Amino acid sequence: MTECEYADRLNAYYDGELSAAQRAKVEAHVDTCPACAAELDRLRKLGSLLGNLPRPAISEAALARLHRAADLWPTASIRRMASALAAIAALVLVTCLVALWRQDTAAQARPAQPWELAAEGRRTMLDAAPPAAEEQLASLVVQDLSSREDQ
Amino acid sequence: METGPLSPTDHELVSRARSGDRSALHTLVDRHARSLFTLAVRLVGQVADAEDVLQETFAGAFRSLATFREQSSVKTWLTQILILQAAQYHRTRLRHPAGRLDGLDVPARSDGPAGPAVDLRLDLGSALLALCQEHREVIVLRELQGMSYDEMALVLKVPRGTVESRLFRARRQLQHLLKEYLL
Repeated sequence: MTECEYADRLNAYYDGELSAAQRAKVEAHVDTCPACAAELDRLRKLGSLLGNLPRPAISEAALARLHRAADLWPTASIRRMASALAAIAALVLVTCLVALWRQDTAAQARPAQPWELAAEGRRTMLDAAPPAAEEQLASLVVQDLSSREDQ
Repeated sequence: METGPLSPTDHELVSRARSGDRSALHTLVDRHARSLFTLAVRLVGQVADAEDVLQETFAGAFRSLATFREQSSVKTWLTQILILQAAQYHRTRLRHPAGRLDGLDVPARSDGPAGPAVDLRLDLGSALLALCQEHREVIVLRELQGMSYDEMALVLKVPRGTVESRLFRARRQLQHLLKEYLL
């Protein structure tokens, strides 16, 4: 095998992938480089060998299967799309249920808000506080009525 | 494939198929199945597997008709799908090596009356299947399908330089495997 610097360009030359200027350059080189000339010869022989590979024919049965697939379209596509949509709907439903459940759990577990604490504190304070003035007044009224009855 | 003056182009057929015209799909099958089958056989090695790969190729094409952007030819698009299906086939074979890993669909080389022409075909088939998948792809696309480097880069979704280096290495390996025929 040649290790000439032109070796990698020989493939592109052989495949007709070079510009006219590049082709002329490679051709001038190949004329003076026996290694590249031999490599180019091997490429041509290899291409000729591969061209001899038989081209197997598709069987009528296989061709008929392809046409059957064409007949099934787009029924098969619609069926697949319906399945996909059903799966997406199920996923959305499950996601919503999970979200609702988590919301409920979080509400139970979350710490009390400041305003809730303040309200609770006020109620406790009221519960524990001494009778208010109204209660004292009511008590005095009751005592007064009681004394009148006694008289 | 050649189309006559009154024959719809491949892109017209795709448009018609998108509108629900199944006859357009049948025409596409008739136009491309034979050439793609040859490609499939060379990529996977066995006729029965090549038929399956081709079936999956057209099934995949029918499925993705709506998303085909028509920036490439239909032939290139179908070839892209086939390359992917053949790669999938090889991955499956590697994961489930129930059969022969080499995928050879050829009998052993004969010293009998079959002659040197048959031996050559067997050796060529074996040499092709001895290449790694990436090298086999470029050889088949270039030597059997006659694709340009740019077309191969498009089909394989790799830079043109990668195509060139793969082709260089693949040919070197084939020259080594088939050296007795290249003297």
